[in-house]
Amino acid sequence: MAADAPLISNLDVLGNLALIKQYREDLPKLEAESLVMSYLQRFDLERIAFRRNPALTAEERFCSMLVRAVLVPEACVVIDRPLKIVPDLQDNRFFRDMLTKVSDSWSSCVIIDYPWNRERYEDIPVVDDKS
Amino acid sequence: MFGNHRKGLQIPFAGPARLVIGSPLPFSSPASSRRIGKGFMYAAIERIGESSIRTAKAFYETLAFSSVVFFKLFDRKSFNSAMRMVLVNQIYFTSVQILPLFIVVSILFGSPIVGITLQILKQFGLADRMGSVLMGVVVTEISPFMTVLLIALRSSSAINAEIAVMKVNRELKTLDVFRIDVLDYLFLPRIINGILSVICLSTLFSILALASGAFFSRYILDMSFDDYTTLLFLSADFSDLFILLVKCVFLGFFITLIPIRFGLRATHELTSIPISVLNGMVKVFIAIVMIEVISLLFRFI
Repeated sequence: MAADAPLISNLDVLGNLALIKQYREDLPKLEAESLVMSYLQRFDLERIAFRRNPALTAEERFCSMLVRAVLVPEACVVIDRPLKIVPDLQDNRFFRDMLTKVSDSWSSCVIIDYPWNRERYEDIPVVDDKS
Repeated sequence: MFGNHRKGLQIPFAGPARLVIGSPLPFSSPASSRRIGKGFMYAAIERIGESSIRTAKAFYETLAFSSVVFFKLFDRKSFNSAMRMVLVNQIYFTSVQILPLFIVVSILFGSPIVGITLQILKQFGLADRMGSVLMGVVVTEISPFMTVLLIALRSSSAINAEIAVMKVNRELKTLDVFRIDVLDYLFLPRIINGILSVICLSTLFSILALASGAFFSRYILDMSFDDYTTLLFLSADFSDLFILLVKCVFLGFFITLIPIRFGLRATHELTSIPISVLNGMVKVFIAIVMIEVISLLFRFI
């Protein structure tokens, strides 16, 4: 996940997320969409299913990108500078909460960021850029 | 830091200024004029060569890309659920949404052409040649040309802009990150749709034009509907129809492939989008003309 890997602008959130399953596993459209809706329900975000990228808030965009990442089988989620995706984040627990909601869908998670943002990612494994 | 700045301002190889008295050497003698003339000639030849190489390279790259796409058309793995969904959407946007406009244009443009043609044939006493003229000109030449012009104006430009915008927004890179082959997911559905749309809409144009021909033949040539249809069937030449089909396939293929290629040439700057669309659409026009000329040559042979 990275700000440089945005959602596809001519698809709504549902289309963007279902695309992963449709393309990689040849899942029928309806089946892929119902799976995506079940993920969006975990975040109480069913309302954004038919919105496109520019109509999303930063938090909604982050959740959509997270769901897209975990839809890949045996997902290893790598988040490149999450604060570039959610720049005005107030709640430090946001990333932990979001990752916890889909914890059954990823095998490992790595957040890459500057050391001074370490406190933002409490309880989440952080790759130190010095290591 | 200051020293570095001074260093940066120095002009390499610049010697001390010299004052030369007298007329400048290049215009002083016929020998030097000849040298300059040769210099210009070499430069002109160099430019021609450079642009020829560039054109040949672009042509070769387009053909190479075409062959990759062509072989992908027969790969069953390409036709996954996501690709089929895009294909259905593309067919809707290109062939269904355009239908009202297309039908109106076909009637407005096709009917007068058929009417005038029949009138002229009657004046020259060539009413018995009506079938071959309608099949040879209206069905084989005018209907694919009009169709491809409409589709190119409406859809090719849209495809070119869409791919360029996706490149600028790094959405193509995103698809690559998720191992979604852009050739399968983005390009193939658009190219298949281009081929199908040109074939179907050309057929529709021909049907509408021939239907108006039935109307005009009744009033201008006093010909019954049965006689008219019999004449058309007798005039239908299989080789002409085959060339028409092949031409439609080529037109549909290239009016979608070229915009895709030029869309991919966009850089990551927004200003590259109009340039890519402009260049792409000019090349689409050139491709249409080339295919028309080649098909005419084949028919002539």
